[in-house]
Amino acid sequence: MSEPLMQVSGLVSGYGDVQVLWGMELAVQAGEICCIVGSNGAGKSTLLRTISGLVAARGGSVRFAGRELAGATPAQVLQAGIAHVPEGRRLFRGLTVRDNLLLGAYHRTGATRAEIDDDLGQIYDSFPILKERRNQDATTLSGGEQQMCAIGRGIMSRPTLLMIDELSLGLAPLAVEKLCDSLRAINRGGLSILVVEQDVLTAFELAQHAFVVETGRVTVSGSCAELARNPQVRQAYMGI
Amino acid sequence: MFLDPQILANGLMLGALYACIAVGFSLVWGVLNVINMMHGSLIILSGYLTFFAWLHLKVNPFLMLLVVSPVLFAFGYALQYGLINRVVSRPVLTTLTLTFGLDMILYNLMNVVFEATPRRIILDLGSLSVGDVVLPNDRLFAMFLALGLTLLLFWVMRSSRAGRAIVAVRMDRDAAALMGIPIRQVYAMTFAIGALMAGACGVLLAITFPVTTNISGLLLGKAFVVCVIGGLGSVPGALVGGLALGLIESYTGTWWGPQTAVLLGFVLMIVLLMTRPTGLLGKAGYE
Repeated sequence: MSEPLMQVSGLVSGYGDVQVLWGMELAVQAGEICCIVGSNGAGKSTLLRTISGLVAARGGSVRFAGRELAGATPAQVLQAGIAHVPEGRRLFRGLTVRDNLLLGAYHRTGATRAEIDDDLGQIYDSFPILKERRNQDATTLSGGEQQMCAIGRGIMSRPTLLMIDELSLGLAPLAVEKLCDSLRAINRGGLSILVVEQDVLTAFELAQHAFVVETGRVTVSGSCAELARNPQVRQAYMGI
Repeated sequence: MFLDPQILANGLMLGALYACIAVGFSLVWGVLNVINMMHGSLIILSGYLTFFAWLHLKVNPFLMLLVVSPVLFAFGYALQYGLINRVVSRPVLTTLTLTFGLDMILYNLMNVVFEATPRRIILDLGSLSVGDVVLPNDRLFAMFLALGLTLLLFWVMRSSRAGRAIVAVRMDRDAAALMGIPIRQVYAMTFAIGALMAGACGVLLAITFPVTTNISGLLLGKAFVVCVIGGLGSVPGALVGGLALGLIESYTGTWWGPQTAVLLGFVLMIVLLMTRPTGLLGKAGYE
């Protein structure tokens, strides 16, 4: 196997006195969709927040495309090519859909207006509803549309890896299906994706590789097909 | 009596200035959660700069807008980046104490250097008469400049990249950080814009009223009242609040005397705080 796009090893972090990640190990290959599953409080969101620099890493490393990113600021991580779609979408209230998308491209100071408009057009092609609603306050969209907008905002930064926290949380099944279809299409276009997902069935259907996280560590990992047959995983997360 | 056009015109001229005073204060409060106690003194400082440039260097006070605003912008940027940013995420009382202390220093320095004697720029620009209404030209120009600057700020906040970044930081700091927005620089930029607006107001104030350190606290109070009336952290809120306060003061001042006018503004603030703390326009999305 060639060198992975992102290699997280021994990553340790937490908040104040509470340590959440206890030596996280995972690797994302270029071009694939990976998922992280696990119960509430296992450390999934903290993992993404540590990778993107919102939470300071206390140890371990994040190698990404030949660079060390542990300890980098969110701006540096974004510049290196990792975009983070946060849990709960976190769109900017009071700003239009278009303004939210443009903020995704905030750090691309070298890009021309035409390039940005071009990328905006591609987002609108992937999610036509966003084009229709582009002048509307982003937080007035439905949950599924907001997730599209948040993903679009992430893609506007032109990342090589898109991390999505809680893709399906609070969304209608039909909206989740649509999102997954769009993500597969976007992935075929060359973007690697790392999804944190509570719904294991959705996650395994979307991704090629999965990491099961428990109390701040990866306990099981492998291809989704493999894990779907793993009796422990079936019992703990799929209720079968 | 409500329709007396002279009182209306006076109210609008005063209100435009109030809006301009409050808009920078409101921006800093809304985005940074910092109550800038220095706002009044920054206005007075700019007023003095304008006055002395006019007195000694014969500089047209209107031109001082182009000098004072950038100076105050730079001063505000440095102050926020170097000092206030160190405590900006602490509870609001900490930053309030810091800006209060800074205000004491600035206020007393001005008292020592400039003395508190009211000083007035005399331009003699004449006045415009429409029917029975007399509009002094200096106040008229100041009003249009105040409104123009307020609208310019509105446009910058809505349509520029920097404006979007400031709104984003205000609405969701973590999500803004994920967009690669440098939070500390945006804070400094926001405070700098607040100081710039104070600077511009100082110039306009010096053109229309006597400048004295005595009124710095009163100006700060006006900014508070306007923010509470109109709603915090939005340009339209400050505009509505400013014009409302100007009109209220103009009418009550004519009917019951100027002391009552000032008093009524604060009474209105207290009543609104108890009944509608988000202000007339509520918390707006964009500044």
